[in-house]
Amino acid sequence: MTHGFAVDRAFATVAFKRRLAYKTQWVLGLVLGGGAMLVSMALWHDLLADGALSGYDWSAMRAYIIIGFVTATVVFGAADWQIADRILDGHIAIDLTKPVDFQRARAAEYVGSMISTVPTVIVGVTGAWLLFDPPGPATATAGALTAVSFALVFPLAFGITYLTVLVCFWTKRYLGIMWLREALLGFLSGMMIPLAFMPSWLQAIAWASPFPHFTATPAAIYLGHVDTAGALGLLAAEAAWAVGLWFGARLVFRHAVKKVTVHGG
Amino acid sequence: MVRDKSLTARHVGGVYWRALVAQIRAITEYPADFWVMASAGAMWNVLQFAFITVLFAAVPDVAGWRYHEMLMLSGLFTVASGSTALLVDGVWSTGQMVLKGEIDYRMTRPAPVVVQVATTHIGMQGFGESGIGLLMFAYGWIGAGLSLAALPIGLLGLVCAIVIECALITVFCAVNFWIKGPMSNFAFVLVDLQSNAMVLPLGLFPIGVRIVTLFVIPVAFVNFVPVAVLTGHLSAWWLVGTPLAALAAVLAAVGVFRLGLRSYDSAGH
Repeated sequence: MTHGFAVDRAFATVAFKRRLAYKTQWVLGLVLGGGAMLVSMALWHDLLADGALSGYDWSAMRAYIIIGFVTATVVFGAADWQIADRILDGHIAIDLTKPVDFQRARAAEYVGSMISTVPTVIVGVTGAWLLFDPPGPATATAGALTAVSFALVFPLAFGITYLTVLVCFWTKRYLGIMWLREALLGFLSGMMIPLAFMPSWLQAIAWASPFPHFTATPAAIYLGHVDTAGALGLLAAEAAWAVGLWFGARLVFRHAVKKVTVHGG
Repeated sequence: MVRDKSLTARHVGGVYWRALVAQIRAITEYPADFWVMASAGAMWNVLQFAFITVLFAAVPDVAGWRYHEMLMLSGLFTVASGSTALLVDGVWSTGQMVLKGEIDYRMTRPAPVVVQVATTHIGMQGFGESGIGLLMFAYGWIGAGLSLAALPIGLLGLVCAIVIECALITVFCAVNFWIKGPMSNFAFVLVDLQSNAMVLPLGLFPIGVRIVTLFVIPVAFVNFVPVAVLTGHLSAWWLVGTPLAALAAVLAAVGVFRLGLRSYDSAGH
């Protein structure tokens, strides 16, 4: 079942407003993301004091860490629990009776909740810029393509999150699934450590997954580690993952929804 | 009087143990959830292991700490953190219980409220976390060339690490008696900052961070101080502070929870 764009916008707006109502979440996101960013800065400042490692000097690493902060705040701050809860508590049974596409509605809500993290991102990035004075993008084109890469993170994050949330059709809890996803995302995206530090076999595994597009792709484009053609190739791969995950999720949902159980039988 | 006290301690211990066993029996009813949670706990720490391994392929040391020493640092924190999920995971629900008035009937039962709250849940990720943490600690121990003669110090550090971590999380969750909310945000921030910062040598951070983690919120005594003493980065005298920090943390947990119960006014008032 499909529905109009106005419905998507309404779902996104409601999710955005709901998140804005909990202002402590802004502060929490800033403390958690900002704390992780400061720890990374302290670590890499010490390690890169004597020169570059695996193609990263202290200047490039400052920009890399801030890019990681941006994507981590937007992705980890989104409202994935609300989708999981609908499946776990049986609300999905009511959703299925509504004249809206379940996946599209959840995508709109998810993107709305991601947008609500923007104030946290702005405050965090401004603070980091003032404290650490990172370099600007390699070129104006690189800056524009980095922005495109960030924009593609929204559908990509939804695709991965939604696919993993669908596991809740088979389990009674979501927490462990979320942790598994976040652990893999944190490591294979390069948020914990740039992929260039990893052995080639591990890099190959990472690049065969959608995760590097959360940090490694925008960072490589921003820092000029790839030329314009390379950047466009990375963006095409990122977009292809977003589209592939969207349709993959539809296939999984079609099978998973047969498992739906609602309280009381 | 002494007899009564020992009976009371035995009674409290009995209540605690029976409540935990009941939770373990409940877990076995949902094997898929158990394996997902245990795997998630293990995965985070396998990747932390991988992070340290990848990092040390490029650098010889971090602020003077070598590969196996860093594994011990990370491993001991992971064991402590995972143990809190197994031993006192229910304290994370303190905020929700305060909001919903669910402390009421626990106050009428003949057992300490904090024990009843702590045993309302078991974090199944703790099995994976503690297991991988112990592996990292043991692998680091052997790799760092520590002898078995240092084992008593290692065990003291391990026990104190678990006690301090459980007590500090209880304190930070008890903040919700005054700052109402369903989420234990303060405890969450504590654990998150610990998992980022305290798995690294303290020498990386400014003096203010070192003072706070050693003498204000003594998270440095969970893993940094014991491992630094074992590996010779700190003098053995620092080890005296570890049981003292554990005692202080437990007293703080009991005291803060009692104060919280005094200010508790149930739901709907």
